[in-house]
Amino acid sequence: MPRVPSLRSRWASAAAGLAVVASALTGCGSSGQSGQATLNWYNFPDDSGALQQAADRCGQQSGGRYTIRYNKLPRGADGQRQQLVRRMAAHDTDVDILGLDVTWPAEFAEAGWIHEWTGQLRDRATADTLDAAVRTATWQGRLYAAPYNSNTQLLWYRDDLVQTPPGTWAEMLAKADELARAGKPHYVEIQGAQYEGLTVWFNTLITSAGGSILTPDAQAPSLGAPAVTAATVMHDLATSPAADPSLPNQMEDQNRLAMESGTAAFELNYPFVYPSMKANQPELFQHFRWAPYPAVIPGRPASVTIGGIDLAVGAYSRHPDLAFEATLCLRDRENQLTNALKGGLPPSLRSLYQAAELTRSYPFAADVLAALDSASIRPKTPAYQNVSIAISHTLSPPADIRPEKDVADLHGQIQDALGSKGLIP
Amino acid sequence: MSTRHARTLTGWGVANLVVVLYALFPVWWIVALSFKDPATLTDGNFVPREWTWANYRGIFQTSEFTRALVNSIGIAVISTAIAVVLGTMAAYAVARLRFPGKRLLIGISLLIAMFPPISLVSPLFNIERVLGLFDTWAGLIIPYMTFSLPLAIYTLSAFFREIPWDLEKAAKVDGATPWQAFRLVIAPLAAPGVFTTAILVFIFCWNDFLFAISLTSTTSARTVPAAIAFFTGSSQFEQPTGSIAAAAVIITIPIVVFVLLFQRRIVAGLTAGAVKG
Amino acid sequence: MTPSTASRATAGKAPAGPSRGARQERRLGLLLCAPAVVVMLAVTAYPIGYAVYLSLQRYDLRFPEQAHWVGLANYGAVLSSPYWWQALGVTVLITVVSVAVELVLGLALALVMHRAVFGRGTVRTAVLVPYGIVTVVAAYSWQYAWTPGTGYLAALLPEGSAPLTEQWPAIGLIILAEVWKTTPFMALLLLAGLALVPDETVRAAMVDGASFGQRLRLVILPLMKPAILVALLFRTLDAFRIFDNIYVLTGGSNGTGSVSILGYDNLFTALNLGIGSAISVLIFVCVALIALVFVKLFGTATPGAEPESR
Repeated sequence: MPRVPSLRSRWASAAAGLAVVASALTGCGSSGQSGQATLNWYNFPDDSGALQQAADRCGQQSGGRYTIRYNKLPRGADGQRQQLVRRMAAHDTDVDILGLDVTWPAEFAEAGWIHEWTGQLRDRATADTLDAAVRTATWQGRLYAAPYNSNTQLLWYRDDLVQTPPGTWAEMLAKADELARAGKPHYVEIQGAQYEGLTVWFNTLITSAGGSILTPDAQAPSLGAPAVTAATVMHDLATSPAADPSLPNQMEDQNRLAMESGTAAFELNYPFVYPSMKANQPELFQHFRWAPYPAVIPGRPASVTIGGIDLAVGAYSRHPDLAFEATLCLRDRENQLTNALKGGLPPSLRSLYQAAELTRSYPFAADVLAALDSASIRPKTPAYQNVSIAISHTLSPPADIRPEKDVADLHGQIQDALGSKGLIP
Repeated sequence: MSTRHARTLTGWGVANLVVVLYALFPVWWIVALSFKDPATLTDGNFVPREWTWANYRGIFQTSEFTRALVNSIGIAVISTAIAVVLGTMAAYAVARLRFPGKRLLIGISLLIAMFPPISLVSPLFNIERVLGLFDTWAGLIIPYMTFSLPLAIYTLSAFFREIPWDLEKAAKVDGATPWQAFRLVIAPLAAPGVFTTAILVFIFCWNDFLFAISLTSTTSARTVPAAIAFFTGSSQFEQPTGSIAAAAVIITIPIVVFVLLFQRRIVAGLTAGAVKG
Repeated sequence: MTPSTASRATAGKAPAGPSRGARQERRLGLLLCAPAVVVMLAVTAYPIGYAVYLSLQRYDLRFPEQAHWVGLANYGAVLSSPYWWQALGVTVLITVVSVAVELVLGLALALVMHRAVFGRGTVRTAVLVPYGIVTVVAAYSWQYAWTPGTGYLAALLPEGSAPLTEQWPAIGLIILAEVWKTTPFMALLLLAGLALVPDETVRAAMVDGASFGQRLRLVILPLMKPAILVALLFRTLDAFRIFDNIYVLTGGSNGTGSVSILGYDNLFTALNLGIGSAISVLIFVCVALIALVFVKLFGTATPGAEPESR
């Protein structure tokens, strides 16, 4: 209320303000109990309880030396990265274990935000672990993280529309064409929005065609003819009747929804669609089948881009030794199995894929393992985000792709991106 | 004259109805989404075929969302109160008094209102970590009131300028005490501006996402818009649309209550009538 | 505080040296403003200063030891980049169209809220609800509504069209979402301004035979000028920095990105602090220009101007 405030009331409000600040300051000083260390683990949010269970279990197994506090990060990968980057750039000592997306270890390692794994730790972190997963956690020959869970895409289709699954993209588009002419559901669902998923698609296609986005030393773009092939496949899909009208705006979840709504015949997506279809569309589920990702070159199996999470130890952690130990526990066989069964996260330990408990709820486990064994990784460079944005920006919308021209454009853009020159769109 | 009056009334009545529909139509869509179960989410129906409370049950299953609600309410109310008080003082001075540095004050407020907050987030984060304010209520209250002060000062001074302050003098001449003069003459005229500002500041604090997500890390200070970013579907790719919609409905309710309480005040000053003229 | 000789000059005919009353008034004024100023400066001085400082460096967070001073090179890089100019074009378009629509619509809403016939409280509250909903949630609901197959609005369009995937329809939908969301802000400020228009004056005009349109133009709007200024100014400043709606609806793809999205991408995704800060400063400069134009246009109605005839 406006009035001429007396001197006293002004000081009162100032004092109140200070009291607020003071109470907040004192209120948050009460952390660490004496003796036992609290390790802070930052990871994507998981409501199934699997990750919390792992954190509790490992804390108990430590024999009282540490407890693990599972802190959630935002759901989206971008949000997770922002939080982690902000804290590590501020040399945050409260971040002990980080759950990194497989494309981030190079970036975090180069910036000096995570510890290297050497000697025995390195051996234990890579034992029985999928090759491709280990490659994602390696930068310049050194291991910077322990692979946690994995992910890969399969071809999902409806066997009431298609008897035998197509083996190549050309076959798949032809089948979709047929279905379209017969007036049946015929869309091929794939992630075509301008985001990371588009880069994943391109990476899968170019490596399946025998090429790669960057040269092995990650200093320059490679691209070349396989890139043109990949771009052509994307263009062909986007301009055929097989393309969902929303393709330029679709991410994984939209693909899932479209498939469940019955308008699609094929879907290229992660295994999370399986339990979802089972729960949401029991009738459609009867005809829901899977097959390996279609090849680009006949006779040469596809190299699907690997996804997943790697666990790293924060460089400013006050208890790095304990953090290494805790990380190894978090990713051990038992916990990865729980993650797989409860949380739906494919493990990174090879032997688990033959375990009976897994194959019971993952009937497609063998196909997932095969895909992971021949998986490709995304370009490994600290400037990966720039490279990815250059790719998704140039190739979006897929219907407007002009293969030769766009690949030539990409060459220059990726070169700039590697040197983090200029703006990104 | 009376038929014209009746027609005017009907005209306004229809206009009212149109306005309410236009405003609430998309809101109904959010409400509908919150009652749909995951299987029927994509059927595009404006009215859910099957109604379920599952989404609402789901968000209250853990204490996270409830904590976020408490945080939001507390932080928004405190920030609004402080911002309105400080803003009122400054606006009164700007509107009524002569003193050096007035233009500077206005300039500084505008500068703060205009600078893109995305580049301010990281430095603020660093400061708060050093001061130990990170992930606390005060850590959000202070930026919120800072960034709503410009709007508060501008709005309030614009309204204070319009108040005929001589009325206060006239009332005193008529025998009223200073307090009576203020209470019966000035306060009702100032009320529209103050309550308008309070509503706008509250909504700003309530809906802010950028600061909330950057300056908190646990449920001790995370507000609702940020908490929504942590909702998960049944897998990492699934967008928890139902939960988000349910959360949206729940957090709009306090806004509705707040506005319902204060909207009368905005024009109450005028209905007092005899103050003007 | 620097003494504002300008204000001293307008006070003009005062005797040599301020009188005791004037001195007291000055002191009171400064004291009243002090808390607000102290808070604002204490919180924002370092961040804003740091942001400007960063914009003059080549600083990529991923290569921290390569940070070095480059002066205005970042600004050069931004201003010579086609991405900046496209984003600026899109931003200006969205700002102009949405603010214009919101002004007209907001005025209409304010008039309706002012003369609510039934359920006054309900009408006013209903109008404010869109503004009260969390922006990202509203944006999600719009995205769902316009996605073919899952949305009720998309079903109204011809088969197979996905408006969010093409540039111009998408921009139109972004403007729609923005207008729906923030018109209440305008309407509220204009309503409070309407409340200050004396009923007697309006009635007198009506008695004099003025039509509704004339009453509006000649009596109501001029008296609402300060409120209109505040509403327009702040709304334009906010509209220029539009982010949430675009981020959720299209992610800035297909040429729908605004300057804020550009800044966000370069700052948070590319971790290029130099370029990102330069973009932020440039956004600030653009917005400051807009504010300057408004202040010049509305002149004496600005809050800081001396109240002449009080």
